[in-house]
Amino acid sequence: MIKQIFKKLLLIGVMLVFTQNLAADEQTDLKEHFLTKIDEVIVIVENKNLAIDERNGDIISVLTPMFDFELMAKLSLGKAWKKVPKDDKQKFVDLYVERMEKSYSSKVDSYNNEKVEVTKIEQPKKNRIRLITDLVSTNDSLEIVYKFYKPKKPKEAKDNWLVYDVEIKGVSILKADKAQFKEFLQTKSIHDLMDVLVDK
Amino acid sequence: MKLVYLVFMVFIVISFSGCISQSAVEPQQIVLSEEVDNGSDEELDEFADEMEIKEIYDPFSGYNRAMTSFNDGAYEYVFKPVAKGYRAALHREVRISVQNFFHNLYYPIRLVNNLLQGKFYNAYEESGRFVVNTVVGIFGLFDPAKTQFGLEAHEEDFGQTLGFYGVGSGPHIVLPLLGPSNLRDTVSLYPDALLSPIDYTERDYWTLTDTPAEFLGLVTLEKVNYTSLNIDRYDKLKEDAVDLYPYLRDVYEQYRDKQIEE
Repeated sequence: MIKQIFKKLLLIGVMLVFTQNLAADEQTDLKEHFLTKIDEVIVIVENKNLAIDERNGDIISVLTPMFDFELMAKLSLGKAWKKVPKDDKQKFVDLYVERMEKSYSSKVDSYNNEKVEVTKIEQPKKNRIRLITDLVSTNDSLEIVYKFYKPKKPKEAKDNWLVYDVEIKGVSILKADKAQFKEFLQTKSIHDLMDVLVDK
Repeated sequence: MKLVYLVFMVFIVISFSGCISQSAVEPQQIVLSEEVDNGSDEELDEFADEMEIKEIYDPFSGYNRAMTSFNDGAYEYVFKPVAKGYRAALHREVRISVQNFFHNLYYPIRLVNNLLQGKFYNAYEESGRFVVNTVVGIFGLFDPAKTQFGLEAHEEDFGQTLGFYGVGSGPHIVLPLLGPSNLRDTVSLYPDALLSPIDYTERDYWTLTDTPAEFLGLVTLEKVNYTSLNIDRYDKLKEDAVDLYPYLRDVYEQYRDKQIEE
């Protein structure tokens, strides 16, 4: 009988270890994938033969499969998204995506031999992973958290895990956008907001 | 024996419950997502709790907005041009050393606030940094504590100490030239100033500056030097703002909450 109990305990143990491993594999896979992407971006940035436009285009095409800018656009409006007229939804998403891409390219412009290190991986939920990274330069380091989620159905031309928010020194860019859009929409319309985004 | 089976069953149920609940919920959600356009709203609901933004108490928004414009103007037309000239005149390494020097001077503020929050190891590490950087790093011009000894800095100020003990941020206040702040952090400037060796009041203990003129000179140097090292940062931040004031306000409050949390 003791033997039987041991057998069962062993079985449970094996199963637990197995499920743990699955989760761990998922995390390391994502980390490796992320670092490969970063390396690809750095190769493009360091290639001095490329014109700025060409370079930015290349960077965006490397990063786009990893980011869910469309979701970010929706989340940035929060509850207000539901009230946006149907015809304007796609227009807003396009403007937001364009803005994100521009913002990213301009941040890459100031790249100066920094190194990206993944310092910690968190998985608060089954379909959420956070990569906590340090952008290390000569005199200081900047903590950047990439928040990934796993859509129920994989999206077309996208990775399995997608970034939906980035936190720089504890400041979530999505929350900051949400706060400023919310304030903006209290006095102005979604069309005004889109006009501002066009001008940017 | 039965007990063993029970335990076994419980384990199995727990470990599979994730899958079961998921498969049970999925078909229902697919039906839902067909009703609303492409499931976008469903996605939104899924993230709703994560994206909850803190409502910032802002009774002085009129004043704050005006002060933000003033500060922005002061930055664009005074600090930035001066900092650019300063940057052209001094090598980056020198400017980093100036920054290190000021940072080292503010050690008492970090020490006391680490201690007040019971972060004794951090206080010890800060003290190690101060000794090493003052002696080996020539009055704090260099940072061998970090590069040679791996001692990390632990930024703490009185605002964070109050936050640590649960004091709320209070209304948001934009300070002239200093930028975004709130009631808690503004009040905290005073106790921190008492610990700062850069000061213009009569003190029983040693301070680096004695007169208001000396004080202003040094503080200006510090600010210009800091700006010269971070010119891009503010510009990049501004690019992402649709409306500058609420954007900076939210970024500041998020940043402080994170600092307090650490």
